[in-house]
Amino acid sequence: MNVREWALISFTILAQMSVGAFVVLGIVHFLAQRKAGSEEADRLSDRALLAIGPVMVLGLLVSLLHLGNPLNAYRAVANVGSSWLSREILFGALFAVVGGAFAIAQWRKIGSFAMRNLLAWLAALIGLVLVYSMASVYMLGTQPAWNTWATPISFFVTTLLLGVLAMGAAFVANYAYIQRKYPGCADAQCGLMRAAVRWIAVAAVVLVGIELLVVPLQVAYLAAAGGVAGDSAALMYGEFGLILALRLALVFIGAGVLGVFLYQNALSPGREKVLGYLTYAAFALVLVSEGLGRFIFYATHLRIGI
Amino acid sequence: MAKQLGFYFNASACTACKACQVACQDKNNLSAAMRWRRVVSYGGGSWVPDPQNAGLMLPNNVFVYSISSACYHCVNPLCAEVCPAAAISKKDNGLVLINQEQCIGCRYCEWACPYGAPAYDQARAVMTKCTGCDDLVAQGKNPVCVDACVMRAIEFGDIEQLRAKYGHVDSIEPLPEAKYTGPAVVITPHKHSQASGKGTGKILNLPEEV
Repeated sequence: MNVREWALISFTILAQMSVGAFVVLGIVHFLAQRKAGSEEADRLSDRALLAIGPVMVLGLLVSLLHLGNPLNAYRAVANVGSSWLSREILFGALFAVVGGAFAIAQWRKIGSFAMRNLLAWLAALIGLVLVYSMASVYMLGTQPAWNTWATPISFFVTTLLLGVLAMGAAFVANYAYIQRKYPGCADAQCGLMRAAVRWIAVAAVVLVGIELLVVPLQVAYLAAAGGVAGDSAALMYGEFGLILALRLALVFIGAGVLGVFLYQNALSPGREKVLGYLTYAAFALVLVSEGLGRFIFYATHLRIGI
Repeated sequence: MAKQLGFYFNASACTACKACQVACQDKNNLSAAMRWRRVVSYGGGSWVPDPQNAGLMLPNNVFVYSISSACYHCVNPLCAEVCPAAAISKKDNGLVLINQEQCIGCRYCEWACPYGAPAYDQARAVMTKCTGCDDLVAQGKNPVCVDACVMRAIEFGDIEQLRAKYGHVDSIEPLPEAKYTGPAVVITPHKHSQASGKGTGKILNLPEEV
């Protein structure tokens, strides 16, 4: 493991978290609007929205560390016709630009509601295509540990899991801020925040269920395939087995156990402080777990041939 | 079909002397860590107790043979397909070349190529690889590895002519199966050669050697 691979781990995690957060925020905003109107929905989500942009930009900047020749980075989109890596960079940049344009328009309330809505849908779609491109980069016929359905599935699960918990953390932080600053308007916000966190907890539990299924199935599949794939599997449960176990334990505790507590605590008012701590802890544990998972992803792939 | 230059390699003649590897490094000014052509030894088998003589061991299908491997200037070069900077291209004569001016040093081609042909130049932070000695070939000469081989185990030329002369074997262990990239290579197997993907041996070189 060196700087280049840490750059890839950070870039893929940050970019996927940004896309997931954007998509989740869009859904929450849509539902909040139907429940409590535009003004309250904006109050719930606008600050969270502004946090996403810098994360994505940071991700793109970190990805430059992966290049031997960063000054030539602009050439990375020269082969969109056949290279998924080119497509990844293209959609990454597009997501940052369109998502950023939407965030600014939404923050300053520039343009009509319909126009902003269109921008948001477009950015979300580009984001999902970005995650698909990221997975396709690794679907090389000569890399059996990567070239399975587990790659796109786990990339999308990471995207949504980090997305829901990052936004959960943003909502509770936003609520604490509003409560301090504008005590008068906190009641409606309190209800919205608790409802949002409740659904986030449900999503986290479902997503961690998928992850806890896919990871062992992937290892078993590679082990059964034998050859180079089997060697990769042996690394996963052998040399990197402890890290894999730690990663699974952390995501189980973070999204599963804390998810259940989150759901229960979000049911009744008056527990906003506890809700805050739980959400931050869940987000932190899952972030570490997904980082470890991505580390294993890059540490255990073996190429066919010499 | 368009012209396709390629290599012939005779695994039954190779003695693993590595003259080809060194000649290539010399001609292309490569550091010791950079190898556009590598000699890889592959072997296997085991030792079993001799039933006649207690304490002695007998060889049980012990074998070893070597291959000299470079870029195979593939018909479907995966390196060129995946290169995000479009820095790798196939020339009219079939040679696959990297334009170092365009390379961004992402090393994605290294992940893709099953022959380990792309070699990263740490000093210049760009990817390099076997050029098929295109400068010498343009003058009607052989690549240096061909002329350096004391066993005359390597030839270079139009792949169709080489196939007419030597047959159609294009993979043996430890090379990958040809299906991934369609390498422009013809191989005369060693008597112990095993089919790619079905080998019972392993690469015997130290990791830093190959």
